[in-house]
Amino acid sequence: MSTLIYGTITSIVLALYTLGFSLTYGISGLANFAHGALYILSGFIAWSFINQAGFPFFLSALLAILISGLIGFAFYWVLLLRIRGIALSELIVTFAAGIAILELLTWRGFYGIQYSLPLFLRGGIEIKGVAVDYQRLFVIGTGIFLLILLYLFVHHTKIGLAFRGIAQNERTALSLGIESDWIGALSLAFGSALAAVAAIVILPMGIMESTIGYNVLIYALTVAIVGGLESTSGMIVASFIIGFGQVVTARYIGAQWMIIVPLSAIILVLAIRPSGLFGKFKELEERV
Amino acid sequence: MKSKILLTALAIALLGCFSIPTPALSAEPIIIGVPTSLYTPFGRDGLNAVNLAVEEINAKGGVSVAGVKRPFEVVTADTRGGEPGTPVHDALMAYEKLILGKKPHAIVIGAFRSEVMIASMDLVAKYKVPQLGTIAQSPGFQGKFKKDPKKYRYLFRVTTDALIPAGYISHALDTLKKEHGLNRAYLIVQDTLWALGFMGLVRKHCKKTGWEEIGYEPYAAGATDFSPGLTKAKEGKAQVIAMVWDVPLGAGIFCKQWAAMKVPALIIGFVPPMAAPGAWKTLGKDVEYSLQVEFPVGASLALKKVPKTGEFLNKFKKKYGKLPEAAAVNSSAYDAVFILAEAIERAGSLDPDKLVTALEQTDYKGVSGRIRFNENHTAIFGKKDPNETGIAVVFQWQKGKRVPVYPPFLAEGKILLPPWMK
Repeated sequence: MSTLIYGTITSIVLALYTLGFSLTYGISGLANFAHGALYILSGFIAWSFINQAGFPFFLSALLAILISGLIGFAFYWVLLLRIRGIALSELIVTFAAGIAILELLTWRGFYGIQYSLPLFLRGGIEIKGVAVDYQRLFVIGTGIFLLILLYLFVHHTKIGLAFRGIAQNERTALSLGIESDWIGALSLAFGSALAAVAAIVILPMGIMESTIGYNVLIYALTVAIVGGLESTSGMIVASFIIGFGQVVTARYIGAQWMIIVPLSAIILVLAIRPSGLFGKFKELEERV
Repeated sequence: MKSKILLTALAIALLGCFSIPTPALSAEPIIIGVPTSLYTPFGRDGLNAVNLAVEEINAKGGVSVAGVKRPFEVVTADTRGGEPGTPVHDALMAYEKLILGKKPHAIVIGAFRSEVMIASMDLVAKYKVPQLGTIAQSPGFQGKFKKDPKKYRYLFRVTTDALIPAGYISHALDTLKKEHGLNRAYLIVQDTLWALGFMGLVRKHCKKTGWEEIGYEPYAAGATDFSPGLTKAKEGKAQVIAMVWDVPLGAGIFCKQWAAMKVPALIIGFVPPMAAPGAWKTLGKDVEYSLQVEFPVGASLALKKVPKTGEFLNKFKKKYGKLPEAAAVNSSAYDAVFILAEAIERAGSLDPDKLVTALEQTDYKGVSGRIRFNENHTAIFGKKDPNETGIAVVFQWQKGKRVPVYPPFLAEGKILLPPWMK
C-alpha cells in the first residue's frame, strides 16, 4: 500500500515538474532549459514576500506565480525573439539564462538550511495504515486539477485553441491570423507560471536551495524525453513509469539506486524509440 | 633654500613620529588560501570564522616572522565540492588554480567533500603548501597519510574525523538503551566517504551492544525522497532512526518527510537542519527531542562548561549578525588560524618544511579544546576534558532549546523520550 501511495505521490511530483516544460515545448517547440531555475526562483520569490515583506502565504504564492509568468513572457521578447526557430541557439540561450538565475541565487546567499516555505496545512491522515500528510494530498490534488484545467483550456478557450493551432501547423495558423510570436511568448509565460505553481505546492515538503533548479530540469527533461516531448499524455505515463520505478527500486533493491531509474529510462527510450513513448516528431523517420 | 629643505625634512620626521605605527599592515602579507565549497553553510561559516580570526590577529599587529610583524591575508577559491554532482576533478582544478595563482603560504579549511580531500592530498604534497584541514571528515586521511608520511607531511587535520562524532552518537545510543530500554534502530546514511565511515562505526557499535537493526540504507547525496526508507522504518517498528547527512537539501526534506509520515522513532545523528540554531524556526516543533552531535564543540552551541565556545560565538554573532548555521567544524576553522599563527612564530619562517616542524609541535588551547597532533597529523580528540584533547558534544532539542546531554561533564540536562514513545 505504501509503495502505491508514495509511488503515486512521486509520479505526480514528476508530472508537476514537467507540465510547464512540456506545455511550452508542445506549443511553440521551445525547449525552455531555464525551467528548473524559474521553479526555484518562484520559491524564493514567495519566501521573500512572506519573510521580508510580511505578506500572507497565499498572496505571496500568487505574486510568485504571476512574476514567474511575466519573466517567462519577457524571456521570449528579450532573449528568444531574434533566434526563434534556431533550435540549438534557443537551447543555449535558455540554458544560459537558467544558469545565470541559479548562480545569482547562490551568490545572493539562497542556499543552506534556513529557507523553507510553510506547509498549507499541518497534519495528515492514514490510508490503510499508511500515514500521508495533507501537503502530499494537496500535491496529488493540484496535479490532477492542473491536468484537467489544461485540457479544458486548450480545448475550450480561444487562446488554448490558438495554442493548438500553432502546435499543429505554425504556417497554417499564421494564415488564419494567429500571431506566432505572441503565442510563443504566452506559451513561455504559461510554462513558467506552471513551474511556479509546482514550486509553491512541492517546496513546502522540504527546504529550498538554488541547486534544486538543476534537479528539476533533469527530471523534467527525463519525463519529457521518455513520454515524448510534446505529448501531455506521454508526460503523464512517463511520470508514473519513472515515479513508480524509483519507489519500487528504493524499496526492493536499495535507495542509492533510485537515481539510476530516470537515467536508464532516457537511455532505453533514446535507443528504442527516440521520439518518446507518445512522441510524434520523428515517428516517420523511426518507421523508415 | 637649505633651511626650507631642513624644515621639510623635519616636518616629515615629525609626521613619522606622530603617525599611527602600522608596521604589520605595511609589511608583505602572509597569504592564507581557503579553497573550499564556499556556497555551503560549512564553507561560508568556516570562511567567516577564518576571517574573524584573521581580523583579531591583524588588529594586534599580525604575525611575527623572524622579528617582522606581517598581517594575514585571506584568498579564496570556490571548489563547489559540497554540491552533489560536482566531479572531484573539477574541485581539484579550482584547488590547484588557487595554489598556483594566489601562491598561499598555507591553506586553511581545505576540501569540503572527503573524496576531494583524499585526492587533494597529492596536490598539496606536490606544491608543499602546509594545510590545516577543518571540514572533510573521512578517516581515509589518516589511512593515506600512513602510507607515505614523508610525502604527506604538509597536511594536518585540525578537526575531528568522522569516527569521533560517531563514537559520541554510539554512547548516546547506549544511554537510550540502558535508561529507556530502546533497542530497534534503522540506519540511514548519505552515500559519501565520511558519512559511511561515521555510520559504519555506529552500525558496528549497535551490533556489538545488542541493537536490532531494522534496516541500513545508504542514499545518494542528491536524494530528495526518503519515503521508502521511512516506510521501512515505520513498518519495522524502529524506535530510533540514526542518520548521517550533510547536504542541506536532502537533510531538510528528510526532516519534513519524517514528521509528515509520523514515523514514531527518535532521530539521532548528524542532520544539519535539525542541528542548526535556527532549526526550530525552519522546521518547527517537529525537531523537539531529536539528538544531534556537534563536532567539535563551539561550532554553533555555547556551552556553560567551555566558556571559550560562548566567547567565539558571541564574536561571530557580533560580526556577522547571526550564529553559524552548521553545527560542525566552524570552531576548528577559527582555531586553525591561531594554530597557524603560533606555528609561523615558532618557525620564524614561512618555509614550508620549517612550518611543518613547528606545526607538529602544536599545543594550543582553543575553542574546540586542546589541540595537539598525533603521528598522523590528526588532532587528538577525546570525551573527557577540553584541557587535554579536543571534544565534541551531543545535544537534544528540549522545549525549543538545544540542551547538551553527552558527555556527562558537559551535560546540562538528561536525554528525554518524546511522550509519543512512552
